[in-house]
Amino acid sequence: MTKHIDIKNVTFQYPGATEPVLNNVNLSIEKGDFVAILGGNGSGKSTLCKLLNGLIPHYYVGDFAGEVTVNNLNTLDHKVADLSRTVGYVYQDFENQIVSPRVLEDACFAPLHYGLADYRERGLRALQLVGLAEVKNAFVWQLSGGQKHLLALASVLSLNPEIIIIDEPVAQLDPQHAKVIYDILKELNEVHGKTIIVIEHHTEFVASYAKNVVLMEKGNVTFKLPVKEALNQVDILLAHQIYPPQITQAAKMIGVIDSLPITIEEGLPTFSELGPLEAHIKHSASKLNPIVSYEKVNFSYKTVSRDKKQVLHDINCTIYEGDYIALVGNNGAGKSSFMRLITGLVKPGSGDVLVDGTNTRKLSPEHLAEKVTYIHQNPEQMFIEDCVDKDVEFFMKARKVKNYRSKVEQLLEQFELTNLADHDSRLLSGGQQRRASLAIGVGMHPEIMLLDEPTANLDISTRKHITRLLDGLKDTLKAVIVATHDMQLVCEFANRIIVMHEGRIIHDGDRESVFQNYRLLEKAGLVPPQIFSFTQSLGWDQPAYTVEEFAIRYQGRDVANGVYA
Amino acid sequence: MEYTRKFSDKLSVEQVKIELLNTAYGNGDTFLAKLDPRTLFLWYLFFGIFPWFIHNVSVLVGMFIFMVVTTYVAKVSPLIIFILCLGLLGQGGYLLIVSLFFGGDLSALLPLLVLTIKLSVISLASITVFCSMNPDKLSDGLLKIKVPGQVSFSISYGYRMLPTLLEEYHHVFQSFRLRGKAPEKHGFLYIKTIGYFVKIAMLSFYPLLLSTAKRARTTVEALETKGSMYGFNHPEVKRLKLAGMKMKRKDYLFLVGSSLYVVGLFLLL
Repeated sequence: MTKHIDIKNVTFQYPGATEPVLNNVNLSIEKGDFVAILGGNGSGKSTLCKLLNGLIPHYYVGDFAGEVTVNNLNTLDHKVADLSRTVGYVYQDFENQIVSPRVLEDACFAPLHYGLADYRERGLRALQLVGLAEVKNAFVWQLSGGQKHLLALASVLSLNPEIIIIDEPVAQLDPQHAKVIYDILKELNEVHGKTIIVIEHHTEFVASYAKNVVLMEKGNVTFKLPVKEALNQVDILLAHQIYPPQITQAAKMIGVIDSLPITIEEGLPTFSELGPLEAHIKHSASKLNPIVSYEKVNFSYKTVSRDKKQVLHDINCTIYEGDYIALVGNNGAGKSSFMRLITGLVKPGSGDVLVDGTNTRKLSPEHLAEKVTYIHQNPEQMFIEDCVDKDVEFFMKARKVKNYRSKVEQLLEQFELTNLADHDSRLLSGGQQRRASLAIGVGMHPEIMLLDEPTANLDISTRKHITRLLDGLKDTLKAVIVATHDMQLVCEFANRIIVMHEGRIIHDGDRESVFQNYRLLEKAGLVPPQIFSFTQSLGWDQPAYTVEEFAIRYQGRDVANGVYA
Repeated sequence: MEYTRKFSDKLSVEQVKIELLNTAYGNGDTFLAKLDPRTLFLWYLFFGIFPWFIHNVSVLVGMFIFMVVTTYVAKVSPLIIFILCLGLLGQGGYLLIVSLFFGGDLSALLPLLVLTIKLSVISLASITVFCSMNPDKLSDGLLKIKVPGQVSFSISYGYRMLPTLLEEYHHVFQSFRLRGKAPEKHGFLYIKTIGYFVKIAMLSFYPLLLSTAKRARTTVEALETKGSMYGFNHPEVKRLKLAGMKMKRKDYLFLVGSSLYVVGLFLLL
């Protein structure tokens, strides 16, 4: 096969930077490949991708050395305009890539501006490919997050490029929508013969969809291997803060020596079918002190077409002291609205929300802020000052808290932000931003903490860090509510799970009652952690929820059966 | 208290966003909206400038009536009309007070009324025209009359970003409220509370500027890859884009009808 993409000895340094982001990179990718690029935050993944459509070196005029050939075009000799017809790029902040107000117009934009007479047909075809043909006349601000992502992809597909690069395709999506986008990529790859390059943290998707894996570190390609081999390098991956699929971790942990499975199907023969040690199911403490209660709450908002859209229907729910709640459900199920009602920023259309016995209708958000902290899904929306330090102190300073400076210093220390104290929060990396937003929240000394998708967009080491911090906070908080798609987090963190679907609470229970209820999972669009599904396939009566639990119970079984005795 | 709540409901950032978008895009099916942008430009060129040179009150009133009709036909949002009325009354009222204060008498009222009518005609003409063209149509129209592609694109893009920016502003504003401290007491005539809100309303612009700067980077790169520079520099792209734009029978009828009406006003009054 011919080399479709060939990167030779490329070094690149952004203007004004002190170190090169790419350091003597060599990489070749063949036509029709499906490549996943792995690497921690800041390893140069995005920069590598910008080499391919010529943004580097034509648009970013830094120090460039080496040679890049894409589809037999040398990127130095061809303009961005030429290369863009071969390489389509979907950004991580894809929303800013949509430039027209209407869906079809945006899909047609590129072919129209390249002067292709059949631009409308191209746009339509691209929309059909991603399944957006039905909303072609909608305004882009009417689309959901997932649809916007598909539109950004369609706008790129309209030029019919040979190579499609997509940066973190599923970061903000629920598992069902995430699968939709990967299935589309798979079809583009297998049916239409496109070369697909994804930047991805979720190795379980990598295992199911990618053919080859490129690992990057500090501007270097550490390796490029077929997916099975790549994900088997557990130690190397862990050293790069990438977590292989749970099944692979589990196999490694119980001491499988030869090739480790990377999907559930592969895993089944690896593990024997002997019954595991029984699980100890912990029952949560008795629930005595209610702190938040919803009484027949309805909530709606006005849409651009002046209709009312009902987001929450007749919600009745009480939250008690000691509840660590995971709020789960599809995008658009009403999770954020459910939480925002506690902050007092929005008031219910009918019904009442009581916080500590007081109706939120009578309280301003400023007042409730002394008890309730809401950590935004997108940390950037919490940054109201020009540096981390000022953002963290804002709440305490406004309330003239005594010795607030020393408390700020302490928080910065706790969240490893001391060195970044004078940086603009918006310019930090995803993980740093998340830490800053948590520091702001903890600085408010709340009784109730509300977190919206705290682990989205994070590489796994940052994710672990955040989970650890959350665990540490349990002692100082009366209750925590986390809205999330991250089922691993749900299993590790929550003692109560509320499942929402189309504005209603359809289940209120714990991980046993949620994950063992197949119909509930299907209705709410939830996908249990891989290790759970796997132990279920193995026929365990009490499936394991975490890799650690799996290893202990699996090996415990051996002990119980006298294998090691 | 109930009234202030109702009023603040109407004034929410959400509501402003909805009104703006509806004004910009919501009137696509009126008679005026189906006209060619060039027709509307020509029409506006006349009614936007000519009233300054007319001193005949009856003719002005006649034109005013015509403008009221077109505004009605264009289905302009009530909020815009309300703001317009407020502006006109404020302007006229303030001039009247100034003239009275400096020793004038009620005879100043008549010339002020004439001025107000002129301003009304011009404002209503502007509202009619700009509410009948959505930003895309406006931008295509400008392109057709040889305004550079960059300018016309900016208009359409600006509107695309408007809801996003408003939403972001709203978020920042809410973040201020979620962390800030409102005054304990409302103060005389709510003065403290109003002061607090005005302050955060202004402060909220700064974070917005910074994050917009960040967004713009992706957008500019994406535009580059989507061939916008190529498009601006190649005339065939412009032809392709504007291929659907044609003056039709109703365009000519509208222009002729309007001219006859104005001529009629001069002859008959």
